[in-house]
Amino acid sequence: MQSNLKYSEEELVSLLKVQDQNAFTYLYDNYAAALNGIIIRMVDDSQLAEDILQEAFLKIWNNFKQYDDTKGRLFTWMINITRNLTIDTLRSKGYKKQKQISRDENSVSDYSDKTFSSDKFDTIGLRKQLQYLKPDQKVIIDLAYFNGYTQEEISKEMHIPLGTVKTRMRSGIIELRKLLQN
Amino acid sequence: MEKEDIISSALLEMYVIGVASPAERLQVDQWRVQYPEVEAEIRSIEMAMEAYAMANAVKPSDAVKERIFSSLNTPKQSIPQAINIPRTVAEKSSAKVVSFSPLGRIAAAAAILILLVSNVFYYNKFKNAQGQYAEGQQQIAEMNAHLTDMDRDMNIVQSKYSKPVALDGLEAAPDAAAKIFWMKNTGEVYVDPKNLPAAPHGHQYQLWAFVDGKPVDAGMITIKDGKNYKIQKMKSFGKAEAFAITLETQGGHSQPQGKIYVMGKI
Repeated sequence: MQSNLKYSEEELVSLLKVQDQNAFTYLYDNYAAALNGIIIRMVDDSQLAEDILQEAFLKIWNNFKQYDDTKGRLFTWMINITRNLTIDTLRSKGYKKQKQISRDENSVSDYSDKTFSSDKFDTIGLRKQLQYLKPDQKVIIDLAYFNGYTQEEISKEMHIPLGTVKTRMRSGIIELRKLLQN
Repeated sequence: MEKEDIISSALLEMYVIGVASPAERLQVDQWRVQYPEVEAEIRSIEMAMEAYAMANAVKPSDAVKERIFSSLNTPKQSIPQAINIPRTVAEKSSAKVVSFSPLGRIAAAAAILILLVSNVFYYNKFKNAQGQYAEGQQQIAEMNAHLTDMDRDMNIVQSKYSKPVALDGLEAAPDAAAKIFWMKNTGEVYVDPKNLPAAPHGHQYQLWAFVDGKPVDAGMITIKDGKNYKIQKMKSFGKAEAFAITLETQGGHSQPQGKIYVMGKI
């Protein structure tokens, strides 16, 4: 099933709108690991994560017509579908938002031994770059990104003023952007 | 807000990450159409977060891929498969059981026919159940989204900093009403336009804050499908003596030109 074809984002989108399976294979090969990584960070259970991953991809396949490229990039759209589905699943299973601040600090290195490569991203290089991200900024990005916390919730959880949450979030992502350009 | 303020507010980051409130989302949706700089900023935040996701990637087991792709194939191919199975049985049995009586053959043919029919029957049943399940899931998802919206609205209403201001209907629409929630700590202004009459085609409601006796544009009230009014975030104000809503032509104006529908003093 490994697809050797390469597509531009535009081609990919127009093929997926007509449910082209090769394009979907390509999508899976390039993005499944990243989506799986997000789910694992959110649910902390690799079996449950794979069930959610499966459901997310079926949703992406079935609802592709709803994707609107003027409202965001394709991968971001997929990430949002996956995160929302994960949040819904956690809620339906009676989970509460779990605090994982201490774990999160290490989890990149926890998983870094499982190799993954994509032809679009230099994953190993990115992981190395992430070590340069400041921990107090990274924690805030992670709480929002992986735990779905709003700024207000982060402020309460970490006992820091809302303004500080905003500043750290913004400077953290700016830092991330800089690291990625290197 | 000026575009520089928008970009430095960290709201765009929250928007991309998906933790902005529905009202904030609407506002950002407007801005990204309005300002190319905001759109460009959003795209580059998206790319940063995508790369962040990639850096945290964990390869799923191969079984997941098989499960996904085999369930893609199921709906289209299972009917021909259902028919194929009995056919091979029929071929084999006709090769081996040549000496069967004509009655036996009829019985065999009937059995195959029943198998075929019941295959199609159960397949349809399965498809129905699958459809109903998906529908149920969809409804649950919609209700969840609805609940999240309500939660956010409640947070605005119940916040200890929120100061409600009732806007009452004036001559143009005596029955109309609206409500402002003004956050005393941040100056954020939210409007609940539920009790405004539907805006006529090509028109839109615009909120004004009166500062030092003069009306200042407080933003356009976004209406989806002409009827879906929600509590939404408007421009922030540190001080204001009154709020009013006028009906303006699409896109609004820098000074009020249309009739005032509702107004309330603080």
